[in-house]
Amino acid sequence: MQIHQFHGVVAYGDAIGNHILSLQRMLRKMGHTSEIFSEFVQRGFESRTRPCTKYHKYSASGNVLLCHFSIGYPPQTMSWLQSIPDRKVLVYHNITPHQYFAGVSDTFYENARAGREQLQQMCSLTQAGWGDSDYNRRELVQLGWQQTAVLPIVFDPAMYQLKPDRAVLKKCQSLEGPKVLFVGRLVPNKKYKDLILTFYYLKRIEPRARLFLVGTADHMESYLDYLQALIKRLDLDDVIITGHVSRSELVAYYRTADIYLSMSEHEGFGVPLLESMYFDVPVVAFSAAAVPETMGDAGVLLTQKDHAAIAELVSMLTHNDSLRARILERQRERWQSFTPGAQMDQLQHCLEMLG
Amino acid sequence: MSDDLIIIHDDQIDVEEIMQQIRANIARRKGEPEIDPAAISQGLWESTIGDTVRFQQQVGGVPLTHHDCDIVPHDYVIDWRIPILGPIHSIVRRLINAEVRRYLDVSLSKQTRFNRNVLRALHHLAQENRNLRQMVEELESLPSTTDE
Repeated sequence: MQIHQFHGVVAYGDAIGNHILSLQRMLRKMGHTSEIFSEFVQRGFESRTRPCTKYHKYSASGNVLLCHFSIGYPPQTMSWLQSIPDRKVLVYHNITPHQYFAGVSDTFYENARAGREQLQQMCSLTQAGWGDSDYNRRELVQLGWQQTAVLPIVFDPAMYQLKPDRAVLKKCQSLEGPKVLFVGRLVPNKKYKDLILTFYYLKRIEPRARLFLVGTADHMESYLDYLQALIKRLDLDDVIITGHVSRSELVAYYRTADIYLSMSEHEGFGVPLLESMYFDVPVVAFSAAAVPETMGDAGVLLTQKDHAAIAELVSMLTHNDSLRARILERQRERWQSFTPGAQMDQLQHCLEMLG
Repeated sequence: MSDDLIIIHDDQIDVEEIMQQIRANIARRKGEPEIDPAAISQGLWESTIGDTVRFQQQVGGVPLTHHDCDIVPHDYVIDWRIPILGPIHSIVRRLINAEVRRYLDVSLSKQTRFNRNVLRALHHLAQENRNLRQMVEELESLPSTTDE
């Protein structure tokens, strides 16, 4: 059978891009013909992605087209999807609720609002809806999808088996005190201010502690201004906002981190949680949206945002070796349940449901 | 601080013991910080981002939202319907659009930022106006003492 995939932009290193590439490898391993199509083909990615304008050569009513949905499609893509006879499946990665962007970015506010409206339209266009968490799947059920399934993000450790950036590694290794890490786009739903407030209390316990905030701040200038003003007002010199980093730099940050702390209130899945588990960094995460699902029975979940108490917990985790070891043991089991090998059966199950 | 701050799904880890330790550590630390970081954070949010809930309400009777400030045409799409010639026509239009947007986008973003600041200023003025009106009403309702 031909099972192809479509996404607006497929980028290497991006969580959805990695997932799409992993799925392609898994589908081919199962014996299916599988290509990736996108609206924009990124430079250096020409051999792996084809423009969707070329899809007519592949299109057939017996094919399955997995349509990855994370922010919405332009109108011409919706028309194109309507015009092709292939059996379409929506793969839903969730959209950040637009309210988070009010006052921060009008473009993101409008795109997120329109994206959710479009999601409703996708119901009549697709045969089934797959969420990469049950949290996402439940939203599809509420919107009217009859046939739904969960296909978690595939976590391929091979993507991280590269040399860490030497400069970052050296710099981080030379720093004393606990290093707290968070990885993600600089967007309001990730609640960076809660990370900074927790860090404020942590500095009272651990004066040499550092907070690394790793992720792009593109198009979030006013939010970045706010965070920088907050850091300045609280007199926190040791908060490092890195901006976009390369894969090897990211690996270096994970390798040197002592604790991964997430205060995010909206995650459709949360790949950095698994990345931290893979790099043996204890994870402390606020329990919201799909976070508890991804964490499973590993790591530490927070039910409240008591910054002073969380700071105590972070400090404890950096010093209490037995507690740390026990948490890491669970985490090592957890990330392995998302590897391509472990996810093969679930993918097969999802495909069988299509009939 | 409530008892159920953390969840650890592991029978070998005593969550209650961890919580007791956290509570003891907090009690041991010297007093509260001199500043209230949460209040500082809230104040900065209102001054740099704005009170987003109130922003979506009316400003002086005029329904202005933050979204109205953005004048960039985000939904402008170059599409085609005519076969063969359509795609060529569309490519030319896209090229022209990209070139124009290169310099126009800067001005549009500047205007959008200005609009946002104006809306923020209008909001503050409307709020101040409401407060003054309320004060006037309160003063007017007081019994007059000047006649005595």
